[in-house]
Amino acid sequence: MAIAKAERLMNLALCLLGTRRPLSKRELRESIEAYVEAFGPGRGAAFGPGRGAASGPEKAAAGSDDSFNRMFERDKDDLRELGLVIETVENLDGEVGYLARRDSNRLPPITLDAEEAAALGLAAKVWQQARLAGAASGALQKLRAAGLPEDVDPYEVHGALEPRIPVHEAAFEPLMLACRDRRPVVFDYRKATAARPEPRHVEPWALECWRGHWYLAGWDRDRGAERVFRLSRITGKVRSRGGSFTAEVPDVVTVRETVAGWAGEITDRSARIRLRTGAGYPLRAKATAVRELGDGWDELEIPYGHGLDAWLVEFGPDVVVLEPAELRADVVDRLRAVAKG
Amino acid sequence: MAGKPARPANAIDQTRRMLSLVTYLRERPGARVEDVARAFGITEDELVSDLDVLPMCGTSFRGGDLLDIDTDGEHIWWHNPAALGEDAAEPLRLAADEATALLVAARAVATLPGLRESDRQALLRATAKVENAAGEAAGASSRLSVTFESEGGVFADVDRAISERRRLWIRYYSPARDEVTEREIDPIRLVSVGHTYVEAWCRRSEARRTFRLDRVAEIKILDEPSEPPEVELRDLSEGLVQPAAEDPEVVVEVGPGGRWVAEYYPHDSADELPDGGLRITLRTPDPASLRRLALRLGHDGRIVSPPDLADSARRAAREALAAYDGPDRVEDGPYDRREQGL
Repeated sequence: MAIAKAERLMNLALCLLGTRRPLSKRELRESIEAYVEAFGPGRGAAFGPGRGAASGPEKAAAGSDDSFNRMFERDKDDLRELGLVIETVENLDGEVGYLARRDSNRLPPITLDAEEAAALGLAAKVWQQARLAGAASGALQKLRAAGLPEDVDPYEVHGALEPRIPVHEAAFEPLMLACRDRRPVVFDYRKATAARPEPRHVEPWALECWRGHWYLAGWDRDRGAERVFRLSRITGKVRSRGGSFTAEVPDVVTVRETVAGWAGEITDRSARIRLRTGAGYPLRAKATAVRELGDGWDELEIPYGHGLDAWLVEFGPDVVVLEPAELRADVVDRLRAVAKG
Repeated sequence: MAGKPARPANAIDQTRRMLSLVTYLRERPGARVEDVARAFGITEDELVSDLDVLPMCGTSFRGGDLLDIDTDGEHIWWHNPAALGEDAAEPLRLAADEATALLVAARAVATLPGLRESDRQALLRATAKVENAAGEAAGASSRLSVTFESEGGVFADVDRAISERRRLWIRYYSPARDEVTEREIDPIRLVSVGHTYVEAWCRRSEARRTFRLDRVAEIKILDEPSEPPEVELRDLSEGLVQPAAEDPEVVVEVGPGGRWVAEYYPHDSADELPDGGLRITLRTPDPASLRRLALRLGHDGRIVSPPDLADSARRAAREALAAYDGPDRVEDGPYDRREQGL
């Protein structure tokens, strides 16, 4: 059976952290059992402490050198994802060596009290996305190893509160990485009212979760303007593009304001409606003025933003739009469509 | 303790954890399996699988020492802690993803309006310290942000009622029926998934119910004790609305402009239609509650079945239109809410 990847990565990490001088690729290949087992030792190498019968010098062909090199590069990348700073050093003979210096990999001193520790413990549990949940636990584990107090159950401290950050969108992880690394991307995006998705070339700036949905803000290269995208409308894969950003990334990215505008929460106009007594609580909660008409109806003044027509139609015959005429026409139009059904 | 998300074993996470584990165990000879698992937020089985791997690992090349770590199932012993060298087991710096995951979550939790002030202060102090310790790795965390929504005053009352184990009286708006009802509830827990909800035992329906805080029109803490029956807490990560298999089926066809329905309503299937629309099949205990959806869709979609739901939407639309036909026609239409099945 092949040696588990975690064991291989752990050995590579410990070798790189434990050495005082750069280790060559050949030395690492000979000293890590998983490499020896999978690829045999490199040319002219001595054996490490053998564990399996599967290894042997006959296997060390040129082909296995290539596969070893590929695996070694991937393993180094994985360790870098874990935060390990691995230096590449060339010695006098031109041979490349690797090491992870203690001083560049050490966590700076950090002292947290029991309350702070419990608060972080709660925060580390909120991600429902595997990669971030793993990373948050990993951060907490590193802090534990550094002496983070551990005798308090976070749920004791915070009582009954269970915040959760939902991530259901497949586009989340590739976009998160693209934002992190400032890599341009391309994806197919279906606008709310469009029949077909269209490819969009975007320089991704930031992701924001609002009311349980994720949004991306970035520079839309096709339109030459800043745009906000809803992740659930991205269809298919998010693909990375080479090159770097062409537009300047603003200091403050305002996803929330844009989305609130879509949601009709930014308004400068108002509408007047009649509402049946007892009905439409949310309309009443938003109303700036309510007047009882006394005949089973009330008259309300409500903010008129994007999407108000669709919302009013939901209340069926319990709402009558008085003004403006434009809103009245939109509502009648929608009602006619349903009545024809 | 409440639900830990179950994750598949992952070599990256395990390696990350084992690197912290060696640092942690070096300081604590004879540490108890139970305590270490809790400190690391993992199950004892996960810890034992790490302890199976560690003896195959070592720092040195050319046949050096492997870590001599073993356990009797209760305590963990490390017989050669010097194998890692003097400074080779120091705590490691945070990776960019680790700093991002922890800091974004901490900032999000700190925005919860109902959070106790002392807890918020502790969280803000901790966030500042972690930012500082993470150094450059903290930089990318500004590219991700989360805002929790909750109604501050309602939240505080629910939170207090839960900690004092007291019953609540609420006036609650139900959009499905467009009505506000009064009920007494025994709160169990607060959940934030986009919106903030209280899960409670509803004394009116004698059943477990979930209430969205922004739909609570009014709230009072009662003097009666809260006595929710012992209920098994559900894992809410799959969504708060989990229709039952026996619930009636509703089929909705939408055009491209109605595709949002699939984003907002949990459904069994959503099949593409040739015009760029979708045929969505969902289940709900109360199909009449979807009349609102039928009205809202307008040109963008229609209810295919059940037929009486489609009829009720059509009738409601005609009734509503009557008010626009001429002045004050609306009072003429005898509109009976019960007729709509509401």
